[in-house]
Amino acid sequence: MNSVVVAWLLLAGPLWAIVGGAVVYQFYRQQSLSTSRSMLAGVIGGFALGPLAVAYLRSSPRRLTQIMFAILGVIGLFFAAQIIVRVPPAAFLWTWLLLAGPLWAVVGGILVPRRYRDQGLTSDGTVTVGILGGFVGGPFVLAPIWYQMPEISNRTWAGVLTFLAAIELYTIFAVLNPSNICVAMPYAPTYITQQTLNGLTIGTIYAVTAVGLTLIYSVQGIVNFAHGQFYMIGGYFSYYFVLWGTELLRTNGIVGPDFVINSLWGIPIAGLLAFLLGGAFEMMFLRPMHDGKIERAIEYAILITFGFGFFVEYTTLAMVGPFPQRAERFGEIRRVSLGAIEADGEAIFGPFLLLADRVIALVVGSLLILFLLWFLQRTWWGRGLRAVSQDPDAAAVTGVNPLRMNTFAFALGSMLAGMSGAVLIPIFAWVPWIGAESAVRAYVIVVLGGLGSVPGALAGGLIVGVVEALGSGCYPDPSRGAAYKEAFALGIFALVLLLRPNGLFGRKE
Amino acid sequence: MNRRLIALICAAIAVLALALPVAAQEEEECSFTGDPVMIGGIAPLSAPGAVTAGVAMEWSMRQAVDDLNAQCGVMIDGENRMVEISIGDSEGLPDAAQRVATRLIEEEGIAGAVGVYHSAVGLATMDVFQENQIPTVYSEPWNDNVTIEGLDRFEADGIDHIFRIAPTSTTVARAAVDWLIAQEVEDVVIIAENTDYGIGAVEQNEAFFAEAGVNVETIFIELGTEDFIPVLSRLQAGDPPDAIRIEVTGETGFNVTQQMIELGIAPTEETICNTMQDAIQPEYWEAVPDGNYCAFYKVGIAPANYNDQTREYVAQYRDEFDSEPAGYAMASYDSVFVLADAISRAGTVEPTAVVEALESTDITLTQGRYYFEYVSDNPLPEDGSVPEYLWHQWPDPAVIVIQFTEEGQDPADAPVVWPPAYQTDEGVSLYMPE
Repeated sequence: MNSVVVAWLLLAGPLWAIVGGAVVYQFYRQQSLSTSRSMLAGVIGGFALGPLAVAYLRSSPRRLTQIMFAILGVIGLFFAAQIIVRVPPAAFLWTWLLLAGPLWAVVGGILVPRRYRDQGLTSDGTVTVGILGGFVGGPFVLAPIWYQMPEISNRTWAGVLTFLAAIELYTIFAVLNPSNICVAMPYAPTYITQQTLNGLTIGTIYAVTAVGLTLIYSVQGIVNFAHGQFYMIGGYFSYYFVLWGTELLRTNGIVGPDFVINSLWGIPIAGLLAFLLGGAFEMMFLRPMHDGKIERAIEYAILITFGFGFFVEYTTLAMVGPFPQRAERFGEIRRVSLGAIEADGEAIFGPFLLLADRVIALVVGSLLILFLLWFLQRTWWGRGLRAVSQDPDAAAVTGVNPLRMNTFAFALGSMLAGMSGAVLIPIFAWVPWIGAESAVRAYVIVVLGGLGSVPGALAGGLIVGVVEALGSGCYPDPSRGAAYKEAFALGIFALVLLLRPNGLFGRKE
Repeated sequence: MNRRLIALICAAIAVLALALPVAAQEEEECSFTGDPVMIGGIAPLSAPGAVTAGVAMEWSMRQAVDDLNAQCGVMIDGENRMVEISIGDSEGLPDAAQRVATRLIEEEGIAGAVGVYHSAVGLATMDVFQENQIPTVYSEPWNDNVTIEGLDRFEADGIDHIFRIAPTSTTVARAAVDWLIAQEVEDVVIIAENTDYGIGAVEQNEAFFAEAGVNVETIFIELGTEDFIPVLSRLQAGDPPDAIRIEVTGETGFNVTQQMIELGIAPTEETICNTMQDAIQPEYWEAVPDGNYCAFYKVGIAPANYNDQTREYVAQYRDEFDSEPAGYAMASYDSVFVLADAISRAGTVEPTAVVEALESTDITLTQGRYYFEYVSDNPLPEDGSVPEYLWHQWPDPAVIVIQFTEEGQDPADAPVVWPPAYQTDEGVSLYMPE
C-alpha cells in the first residue's frame, strides 16, 4: 500500500473519526456542555485531522462553531481541489472568480459590517471577516454569517478564514502551476518546509531588529530613522572588537598566532557599545524634545534621527572605507543537515539543509527575544518601560522617571539593532550602507505587527522572513523570484493594513 | 644656544637656496600658462553604485591627472596648460549621474569627460554629453548600445562625441562563455543583477550559449539584497548545473557567491563556479572566504603583458590599495591620457577638433595601444559584416579568465585558464576542487 495512504490511516481517517466522535462526546457530557453537535464535530475532526482536531476540540469546547466551520472548510477545500484539478485551469479560475475571490471580498467587506450594525450588534472585526469570508467562499460563507450573525469580534474567525484563504490561494496556485517546485509531488512538502525554515531563520533576526525600533516607538512615540545605522555599526563594533582584540592578545603573547576571538564575543560588546551610543544620542539630542524645549517635537525627531543616521553612515564610510568586510564565522561547521523520513529506502520528507552560522544566529536571536520578553515582564526597568509607554504621567506618579525611561528605551532599542548587526556580520558582506535595506524592512515589520507592539514586531519579522522565502522560492518564473523578494513582503504588508489598519497586534487609538 | 639657532637657520636657508633652482627648473620644464583645462570624471562613489570600483576609478583618474601634469599637461596653442579634474558621484543611478554631468558642464565648464562605471549611467549621461558637445571617453560601461547609440547620433547629426575604451558586453560575454563551452558544459545557470548591465549580459550569454547548444537558466536579483538562500535553495532543489555564472557587481555579488558556496552548490565536482570580475579585489577573500576554485574574468591584460607604463601604474596602485588593479581602474587612468592626447593634438578644446583628434588616436598606455578603427573617415561597412558596437570603440581590450587555486591567493599569482594564448601552467584550463 502507498506509504502516504498508510500515514493518513494512522494519523487521521476512519479510525480517528470513531475515536474523535467517542472522546469528544464523552468529554462534553462530563463537562455538562451541550452534546448536540459534539459527536459530529469529533467524527469530522478526527477523520480530517486526527488527534490534532480531537485534542483541540477538548481544549476549546466553547469554540465549537468556529472549529466546525474550519474543519468543514478544510475538508470542503480538499474535495473541491480534487474536483477542480480535473477541470481545465482556465475554467477553474473563472469559476473561482465568480463564486469567491476578490469580487465577493468587496461585497463581504461592505455588507457584513452593515448587517451587524443594522442589527445593533458590535461591528468590530466584521470588515475583516466579511472580506476574508467573501474571498474564501463567496456566498457560501457570507450567507451563514448573514443569517446567523455569530460573535466574530475575536481573532479566531479572522485566523481561521486567513488559514482557509491561504489554502485556497495555494490550491489556485497549484492548479495554475502544476509543475511548480512548491506543488509538484513528492518533493513539494520538503521544499516548502525547507523554505519555511530559511524564512524563520532570517525572520528571527528581522524580528530582533524590528523589536528595537518598536520599543523606541512605544515609549517615546518617535520613529528612529537612524535604526539601520545602529544595526550597521553594531556589525562593525563586533568586527573590530574581534580583529583588534585578537591582535592585542597575539602581540602580548597571551595567545598563539592561530588564535582568533570567536565572533560570538563580539555580540555583547556590540550591544554594549550600541547601547551607550544610543543612550548618549538620546540624552544629547532627544531629551530637549521631552523637556518641552522643542516646539515641533515629531518633526524634530524625524530630522535629528535622520541626520544622525547620515552622520554615522558617512563617518563609518570615512573610517572603514567602502570595501566589504566579514567577521570570522562562529564555528568551523558550515552546514547542518536534518534527517529525512524515509519509506521504501527513499526520502519522502527531508532532509533539510541549514547553514550553521544561521542556526547560531537563530539561537542568539531567539535568546535575545526571550530575554527581552522576560526583562519587560519581570524586572522593574521593564515594567517601567511598559508603564511609560502606556501613560508617562501616571508612570511618573508611581515613581518612574519618564525621561530616564526614554533614554533607556532608546539605548535598549539601539542595543538590539547593534546586536542584530553583530549576529549577521559573519553571514553577510558588510558595508557602511548596509543598514538602509534593513531599516526599511524593520519599518515594514513594525507597521505590519502594529506600531509599538513587541509581539507584533516578533510576528511581523517571522511573517516577512517566511513570505520572502516562500515568495521567491515558489514564484512561477524562477528567473524573477529573487528580484521580487521585497515585493512579496510589501504585498503582505499592504494586505494586512487593508484588513487591519492598526497592524496585526496594534492598539486602537 | 643662539649659535645653534643661527646655525639651524643658516642650514635651512642653504637647503632652500639649493632647492629653489630645482623647483625653478621644474617650473621651467612645465611652465603652465593660461587657465587650466578642466575635465570631468564620473564614478560611483556611494550606494547603490559599485563603490569599491568607484573609489579605484576616482584614484586612478586623479593619479592620471597628476602624472599628466608632471608631463606638462596638455598643449594648447603651443603652450602648456595644466589639467584639472572634477569628479562627480553617479551613485550608479542614471538620473543622479545626469545631474552630475549637467553640473560638471554648467558649473565646472569641462572640456571633456572620462570615467563612468555602470552601463545605465553611460547610456543616461551620453545624451547630456552629446547635447552639450562634450568629447567623452568612457572607461567602463560595457553595454553595446553605448557605441551603437553613438553611431545613431553620428548618422543623425554628423558628429558623435562618445568614445569607449572599455570592452563591450559582447566581447566580455564571449570570453567567459567560450571558456565554459571549452569545458563542455551542457547546462548553465546565470545569476545576474536586474540592471541594464545584467540584462544585457544575460541576453548575450544566452545567445552565445544557444549557438553552442547549451541550456541556460537565468535568475535575476536586485542589487543591495543580502540574503539569497531562498533562491539558492530553489536552485539546489533541481539537478546540479554544469556551471553557475554570476553577473552581479559589488558586495551583492560577493554575498551571492559566498552563500552559493556555503550551500555546497558550487564549486563542486559537478558544477563550475564562474564568479564576477570583482573577485580581483583584495576584499574578495574577506567577503567570500570559501571562494577558492571560483574562476572569474578579468578585463585587462595579464601581468605577463605589462609594459613599463603599466608596471609603474600598478606599483602606484598597489601602494594605495595593496592589490592588483582591475581593468576599470586601468581604463580610468588611460581614459584621461587618451582625452588629453586628443586635446594636445587638436591644440584646442573646441569639441569638433577634439573629436577629430580622438578619432585618429594612436597612443600606447597601460593597457596597450589605443586606437579607434571605425570612425567618420572609416565608417562601418554597409553590408553589416562588422557589428555596430565597434563604432568609436577601442577594438582590442583583453578579457582573460583567471581561477583561484589557493585560499587567499593574490589574483596576480592565480593561473590564467583562458584564452589559450594567455594560459599559464602549461595550458591547464580548469582546476577542480579535490
